[in-house]
Amino acid sequence: MTHPKRTGARLELKDVTKTYTGHGEDKHVLDRINCIVEPGEFLSIVGPSGVGKTTLLRLLTGLTPVTSGEILLDGKRVTSPPEDLAIVLQEYTRSLMPWLTVEKNIELPLKLKKIAKEERRERVQSAILEVGLEGNDSRYPWQLSGGMQQRVAIARALASRPRILVMDEPFASVDAQTRLDLEDLVLKVRDDFGITTLLVTHDMDEAVYLADRVLVLTGKPAHVAAEIAVPLGYPRDQVDTRAHPDFGHLRGEIYQLIRGKR
Amino acid sequence: MFSLLRRFLISSWLVAALLLFWWKISANSESYFWPPLGQIATQFKTNWLFANVAEDVVPSLKNLAIGYFIGAPCALVVGAHLGLSEIAQRIFSPLVNFFRSIPGVALVPIFIMLFGIGDESRRVSIAVAVFFPTLIATIEAVRTSDAVLLDVSRSFKFSSFQSLWRVRVPSGAPMISSGLQVSLQVGFIVMIVSEMLGAFRGLGAFTVEAQQSFMIIDMWTGIIMLGILGYIFNVIFELIEKRALRWYRGQKGLTT
Ligand SMILES: Nc1ncnc2c1ncn2[C@@H]1O[C@H](COP(=O)(O)OP(=O)(O)OP(=O)(O)O)[C@@H](O)[C@H]1O
Ligand SMILES: [Mg+2]
Repeated sequence: MTHPKRTGARLELKDVTKTYTGHGEDKHVLDRINCIVEPGEFLSIVGPSGVGKTTLLRLLTGLTPVTSGEILLDGKRVTSPPEDLAIVLQEYTRSLMPWLTVEKNIELPLKLKKIAKEERRERVQSAILEVGLEGNDSRYPWQLSGGMQQRVAIARALASRPRILVMDEPFASVDAQTRLDLEDLVLKVRDDFGITTLLVTHDMDEAVYLADRVLVLTGKPAHVAAEIAVPLGYPRDQVDTRAHPDFGHLRGEIYQLIRGKR
Repeated sequence: MFSLLRRFLISSWLVAALLLFWWKISANSESYFWPPLGQIATQFKTNWLFANVAEDVVPSLKNLAIGYFIGAPCALVVGAHLGLSEIAQRIFSPLVNFFRSIPGVALVPIFIMLFGIGDESRRVSIAVAVFFPTLIATIEAVRTSDAVLLDVSRSFKFSSFQSLWRVRVPSGAPMISSGLQVSLQVGFIVMIVSEMLGAFRGLGAFTVEAQQSFMIIDMWTGIIMLGILGYIFNVIFELIEKRALRWYRGQKGLTT
């Protein structure tokens, strides 16, 4: 099977600041976040729980408005969810339509975009193959394991042919083995399509294993503590890459940043 | 096959026992108002299998069907849109609450006044009475849609119309369905009462007429017929619901 190689989108955050207002006192969560993600790059975002990772993700996907600063996707300001962007959320049990089969779930966004039937079918089938769900087309999400449900969510995201894929702790609540499989799936997807990929995680190993670069957020309000390049080669391998001495160093560096020690 | 039989036995033995009890205890009844069940059964056969069905049952059911299939879909559409808008809800909720606290049957005299004692007034009464339970359920169902699904809709750029009918309404279908069921029951009651108030035909009319002319056995057959019909409607509704909401039962891990 051949995949048309697409070019990823370029994402730029300029002094992105978020203060939640209402519900009593204001909450200043993000403070002047700056970052550039190049086309096709894989960026992990890590930080302690509650630091504002989900908030940052919601801002750059246009689901929540910024308080100040701006987010540019290929130079265009993001104010609502952009066309070229797809999201995979942490809550896989809640993010699929339980009344639709796997196939219909993946197809729905295409259908509502009025994409022709043949093309829809082709895209759905190739997405199902890509994530390794063949044979499950007509099952319902609740008949699938957590890992499989998350694969459906990824397939749904891929079927819309995004140029940037954004994931919020997508593997946080699946078992260890499934998690490794899904990590490799995400790497493969990035390779196959060349899409820019952002992944939020609180797992430092996962952040390093997957990324070209790791963005570390700390503090209240959160700021960028460091941007750490990951010079590990490709393809990554769950055993070899993790055993590499650099892997341990990077991991330790991030760990200390998050713990606030050096 | 065996389990089907068992299910049937479990769900029907109490009814059978009660009927048997009624049969026994009324067998030698001399009371004018409590005739032997045996006599009622014989008369039931004469009245309803299937002599007067076309004349007295079919028109009633037609009114119910027309009223229901106008009232309920309207409630679905209006409720879905009210559920979307907090402002619309605040404006309309006093009105809705006022009208829904009026029992459906109390509307019948108004519509008789407005539309006469023909079928129109009965159909309108049914449609209006059916409207409110579905309306309330739909508003609530649409209002309480899962935030994650709505984020997904937004991220895929569904229009608000699309996310209403493709996400909010289907995900609220279980709640909407209970509203539809209550509507059906209310519609059935209004169908009967509307015929009791000045109709010439229909099951309700038949039953009061029998009572007023002291044909007590006929009255009993009418009441039993109403019971059977109401029961059948509920069974049919639940069968359809079970099919349509298979996903919901599956998701909840329900097996029956
Ligand atoms: N809608 C909101 N209104 C007000 N405060 C909010 C809102 N959403 C998040 N917050 C607050 O913003 C802060 C950051 O939350 P966020 O969910 O972004 O953290 P996180 O890094 O994703 O945490 P976790 O690792 O636990 O998922 C928290 O203190 C949270 O209470
Ligand atoms: Mg989070």
